Amino acid sequence: MTFIRIKKGHNINIAGQPAFGIKDCISPHSVAIHPNSFRYVKPKLLVKEGERVNLGAPLFFDKLMPEVKWPSPGNGTIKEIRYGSKRVIEKVTIILDEESEVSGEKIYSKDTLSSLNKQEVINHLLMGNLFPFILRRPFNKVANPKELPRDIFVSGYNTSPMLPDLELVLSNQKVEFQAGLDILSCLTDGSVHLTVRNNSDIFSDIKNIKLNTIEGPHPAGNVGIQIHHIAPLNPSDVIWTVEAQHVCLLGKYFLSGHFDPSIIVSIGGPNITNPIHLRSRLGTSIDTIIKDQIKQGDNRIVSGDILTGKESSENGHLGFYHSCVSVVPKSEKRKFLGLFQLGGTDSHYSLTNSFFGKRNKNFYFTTLNNGSERPIVPIGSWEAVLPMDILPNELYRAIVANDLDLMEKLGILECDEEDLALCSFACPSKIDVGGMVRRGLNMIWDEGNK
Amino acid sequence: MRFLKNIFDSLEPKFKDGGFLERLYPLFEATETILFSTDTQTSSHGPHIRDSIDIKRVMILVVVALIPCYFFGAINIGYLNAKALNIPRGMFSNFLFGMKYVLPVLLITFATGAFWELFFPIIRRHEVTESFLVTCALIPLTMPPDVPLWMVAVGTSFGVVLGKEVFGGTGMNIFNPALTARAFVYFAYPTAISGDKVWAIGPDGYSGATALSIPAAAVNADSVNLLNNVTQFDYSWWNMFIGFIPGSVGETSKILILLGACFLIITKIASWRTMLASVVGLFATAFLFNILAPFSSNSMLTIPPHYHLVMGGFLFGAVFMATEPVTGPHTDRGKWIYGFMIGFLTIVIRSINPAYPEGVMLAILLMNAFASFIDYFVVQKNIKHRMARYAK
Repeated sequence: MTFIRIKKGHNINIAGQPAFGIKDCISPHSVAIHPNSFRYVKPKLLVKEGERVNLGAPLFFDKLMPEVKWPSPGNGTIKEIRYGSKRVIEKVTIILDEESEVSGEKIYSKDTLSSLNKQEVINHLLMGNLFPFILRRPFNKVANPKELPRDIFVSGYNTSPMLPDLELVLSNQKVEFQAGLDILSCLTDGSVHLTVRNNSDIFSDIKNIKLNTIEGPHPAGNVGIQIHHIAPLNPSDVIWTVEAQHVCLLGKYFLSGHFDPSIIVSIGGPNITNPIHLRSRLGTSIDTIIKDQIKQGDNRIVSGDILTGKESSENGHLGFYHSCVSVVPKSEKRKFLGLFQLGGTDSHYSLTNSFFGKRNKNFYFTTLNNGSERPIVPIGSWEAVLPMDILPNELYRAIVANDLDLMEKLGILECDEEDLALCSFACPSKIDVGGMVRRGLNMIWDEGNK
Repeated sequence: MRFLKNIFDSLEPKFKDGGFLERLYPLFEATETILFSTDTQTSSHGPHIRDSIDIKRVMILVVVALIPCYFFGAINIGYLNAKALNIPRGMFSNFLFGMKYVLPVLLITFATGAFWELFFPIIRRHEVTESFLVTCALIPLTMPPDVPLWMVAVGTSFGVVLGKEVFGGTGMNIFNPALTARAFVYFAYPTAISGDKVWAIGPDGYSGATALSIPAAAVNADSVNLLNNVTQFDYSWWNMFIGFIPGSVGETSKILILLGACFLIITKIASWRTMLASVVGLFATAFLFNILAPFSSNSMLTIPPHYHLVMGGFLFGAVFMATEPVTGPHTDRGKWIYGFMIGFLTIVIRSINPAYPEGVMLAILLMNAFASFIDYFVVQKNIKHRMARYAK
């Protein structure tokens, strides 16, 4: 057991954090999946518009790894396949109909799960089209079933604003969670690392894993930060990661024989009347989640957390890996002489102490950029929120200079944009550090897959 | 402020693409965003919220930290003048007297600086950056009060154009533009700003020695005794700390510089590492020289570390010039080395070099040149220990 204490980082005091408690949510009329949102994947569709699909049936596969197929998040008819520019497949929407009983796959008893053969587990996951729930580092993309991961990491602690409280979510599904961890332990010769909040007691009876505890501000809950501190990723290593709720989905699939897409989705943000956790499902339509919840005004609806999620709309659907909907008010207010303002309002929030006023209250953030983009003036704001042994400034410069060799030496393969999202948040020059890291990773990926 | 906003909104098309004032858009944008904060939105792929700090705010805060130095500088000019003429004058009258000298220098600096800062974005078609506010606020504080105004204009132009703009503007420069301006005036017009004669506004022919040039001129003497025996000015430690001594406008009051330092550290704008490291470097080197003093006839070696701290422009340089984030190292470890070397070189130039009684300006400019070199080694060290970890 490793105990990690993180000092660098920051918990953003944003209003509308989801309350402790789970409510039921009305069932959605449609679900969707966004094929082009999966990184480094060339999707090839297996279905046509108007066709009927069953829950868990394959919708598309990756031309680069044809054995990996993506599951349909619901029973129903394909209403629309939306293409974007250059014919990328943006979205496959499925209108849900009466749940029909899906023919069950093989059922495993929970005691035998940890002694399964690796190939058997992989074949079973591929057959159920559930392999896309397993991600790999470096690059944070869908794992390749032919690779042998050094270790598998699961984070049992969400620190990013608005994400569901995993202790609340997992405490009701401990059997499934344990089953999921058991099958993951068959996939690696190394260990399955579960990292949880320090002093958390609900994970004490979890078996077949190495339990680590972590303490500190966001991004302590990010799996990338945990890997960096527990067993760092070497350039030749492959590590698999699975989100805690998806571990339960995998466990349920092995125990019951069919794919159950229900997950807990949190909803939060300054313009949400009652931020809370909701029982919902993968790829659900966002309007069912925010129904009667949203305050009047112009809002930005984000699928995912506030730092790394993607902008969506009321007619949009939740992303495949997302378990949160955040709502931030849009503002176009241009304050007269705002530059000289001393602070003291609910919207001036800074990691520097450059505004007067109380810090430990909830702030009403808006989508204002609060400044224009400028050249880097390195006042140390990136370093203060990155709890990794990585020099963000030098890494950024190496990426701008397209210096692949230096990027790798500076540890870009250990990073993902979500780990550096706080740097972008804090940057006074309004630079998108996380986006730049993704650009660097793309360069390396393209170089290796020419 | 609705009517002002309307005026700007109606003017905007003229400056936008196709408008007949299109080339002057940076000027319009700069004025508009100073008056009204921007309404740029965060990107659609996150982060969807941003910290409230921006570069405008960063620069304004540095200027705020400098304001007390301006006030004291003006009062000090009046005070020293009254003392030289032997007339009684109140604090406020001293301030007004000093402002007559400080204000023109300030206006000339800002006029020149703003001209170049607008000229380059208009040619290069990018937005005006705010760093000239700090550069222009720093330059008058490093000048003697009686400096000819045309020299200020030439020096500022040199500092802004050759110190910054030729490298690509803010964020790209190698040398601190304000110090480049100061160094230019120092070397181009040595008669006006040599630094070994006092800079105070007095009667014709009024002259004296600065605190640093007194021990520099003496042989085999104890510097503290020498300073305490000066009758023209009060060169006691406490008075040098408070600041009623001749010098450049902003450098004399160490107490207000420390106040500015606290402000910059608390607001997290400037690096406390650089400041602390340069003071450590200064103390260590001065202490070493004190030990070596008996073996030399150089009286500068006998100055104790805490005297070095309050003499000349060291503190002003360490707090406001060395911490300039662009021209210093970007790594935390690099900042320690960089700061220490500034303290070390300041004492070396002050004590061992007979030509320049003040060393902090040259020390910082020299270390500016070495900043990326220091960073290079810190980066290599980071790479090396990462490699060692991979090998395990």
